[in-house]
Amino acid sequence: MPLLGADLRRDIEIRRYPVLAYGLVPLVALVLQAWLPRLLGRYAWFDLPLVVTVYFALGRRSPIQGTLMGAAMGLFEDALTHHAIGVNGVAKSLAGFLAASVGVRIDVENHTIRLVLNFLLSLLSSAVVVFVSRFLLGLDLEWSWYTVLFTAVGNSVIALVLFPLLDRLQVRD
Amino acid sequence: MESFFVRYRNLVVLLAILLAQIIGLAVQVRRTGDGRSSLDPGDGPGVRLIRLWANALVSPPERLIHSTKLGAEHLWQNYLDLHNVRQQNQELQKTIDRLRLEQAALLEDAKQGQRLQALLNFQEKYIYKTVAAQAIGSSGSEQSRVFYIDKGSAEGLDRDMAVITADGIVGKIREVFPHSAQVLVISDQSSGAGVILETTRIRGILRGNANGQPQIVDILADKRIQKGEVVLTAGGDQIFPRGLPVGVVDKVVQDPERDSFIDVIVSPAAHLDRLDEVLVITSTEPRFSPEQQQDLATSEELKGAEAAAIKEQKKASEVMAERLPGLIDPNLPPDQQPLHDTSNPNPVAHPPQALHPDRFTPGADSGVAPAAAPATTPETKTTAEPDLASKPLQTKPAAPAITPQTKPAAKPAQPNQLQAKQPQKSQPQNVQPRRNP
Repeated sequence: MPLLGADLRRDIEIRRYPVLAYGLVPLVALVLQAWLPRLLGRYAWFDLPLVVTVYFALGRRSPIQGTLMGAAMGLFEDALTHHAIGVNGVAKSLAGFLAASVGVRIDVENHTIRLVLNFLLSLLSSAVVVFVSRFLLGLDLEWSWYTVLFTAVGNSVIALVLFPLLDRLQVRD
Repeated sequence: MESFFVRYRNLVVLLAILLAQIIGLAVQVRRTGDGRSSLDPGDGPGVRLIRLWANALVSPPERLIHSTKLGAEHLWQNYLDLHNVRQQNQELQKTIDRLRLEQAALLEDAKQGQRLQALLNFQEKYIYKTVAAQAIGSSGSEQSRVFYIDKGSAEGLDRDMAVITADGIVGKIREVFPHSAQVLVISDQSSGAGVILETTRIRGILRGNANGQPQIVDILADKRIQKGEVVLTAGGDQIFPRGLPVGVVDKVVQDPERDSFIDVIVSPAAHLDRLDEVLVITSTEPRFSPEQQQDLATSEELKGAEAAAIKEQKKASEVMAERLPGLIDPNLPPDQQPLHDTSNPNPVAHPPQALHPDRFTPGADSGVAPAAAPATTPETKTTAEPDLASKPLQTKPAAPAITPQTKPAAKPAQPNQLQAKQPQKSQPQNVQPRRNP
């Protein structure tokens, strides 16, 4: 498992943020995710909590922190819906873990990599939600694949804009 | 063993977190009678606590954002953008005056309708009390079409209360918190509302599809259903009162799973994507506001004054009838009074008497020669002749007044036959002299 054993490199390139940023940025993402669809209606093709999860997982390069942050964001999202709590938690836990694991090995400053990574992790997150809902829980859940695709594209575009902004928050030695 | 956990701690933590969440999911899902899975409609204490925490964390910022937005709009609309407000105000005042009168009449009808329904033992729901609320947030998920409003149990809201706008129905309250509530929109896949198509009277269940459009499911294929047909609530779901607008038929598609069934896609009347202010129906019991009660009292007074005026007119007519006794015959029933007899509107016209009778003289062909003609003035003849020709029935009362010899033979005889069949028609003769006292 070379992915899980790159502690030295992770320690060198690890990013640090103010404590307040760990609380406020996810909270703002959750509030905006709940509020913006009221303005945009059916065109709210984005998942800000996922984007924030991926960003911190990539920056911190810690799979455990990525997993925990993904789980917290997902559970929070689930709590605002009327669905079972845990579906998005599972999906975002996996996304956070994978983002952190990948971030250890690749250059996360590259815009193309950020774009592709967010696109793929968005698709993966949606696929996990479908898998858990339909196969693990056996719920009748219809799915619109074009919405999933547009959401993945939306997340990638937002990440391109948001990641440089969040980079300004990091603490530099 | 220790080195294993240290070496694979990332994976172990991931698996532990996933396992905990999956166990939590399993607790929330239950098997139905037909072997299918469904979410427990009532959240358990733990799940409800998590939702409460999430709501308590997200609602204050959402309220803040929403208040800021409303404040900006208020500032713009009430202080900056005031074109034509005075004229609009006058027009609205006129509209209010008119609507208040109409409302009073409608309330009367509603009360009467309820009394009649109570007589028929038919239960029907009417909207009597609503609470206005602002939409402050949503779930943020495409798969969960719910939104949050800024009123909760503290304002009297409860689960399964209907949420509407002036345009149509929106959804129902699914979860209530102290100062906010979660509303399940009719376009969600797990929602359900009994609806009826206005023209074809076909009933069905409305629920959302994967694209977020409300559709009526479980309907047998019917070619009568056309685009544009109005959809109303059917009132059988114990949530939405009957007759509220739902939307119009957008298109009809084949049910992908069953050949003989169709899905009717509905374009909702309410703007579900852009909800701002909604009304929650908190009571369907008769309960009128002070303004409505005042309107009702005004209507009652108006109705009383109108009834008094009619009574006064009736009384005056009775007094007049007493003063004119010739118009009333105490021996006859009311419907046979002379006032009701329209067969003799004109005074009696005596048949003219010919000065020199010939074969064309009425009664001459009967072979009966007129006897001594009564003394009639020429003026009487000239005025009575046209009436005799055009209105033979008018000769009816005159027959007994003249001598039998002057009785017309052919057509003028009919009134006598009619008179024999209907003896009550002869009554005007008795009262005729009183007409010209």
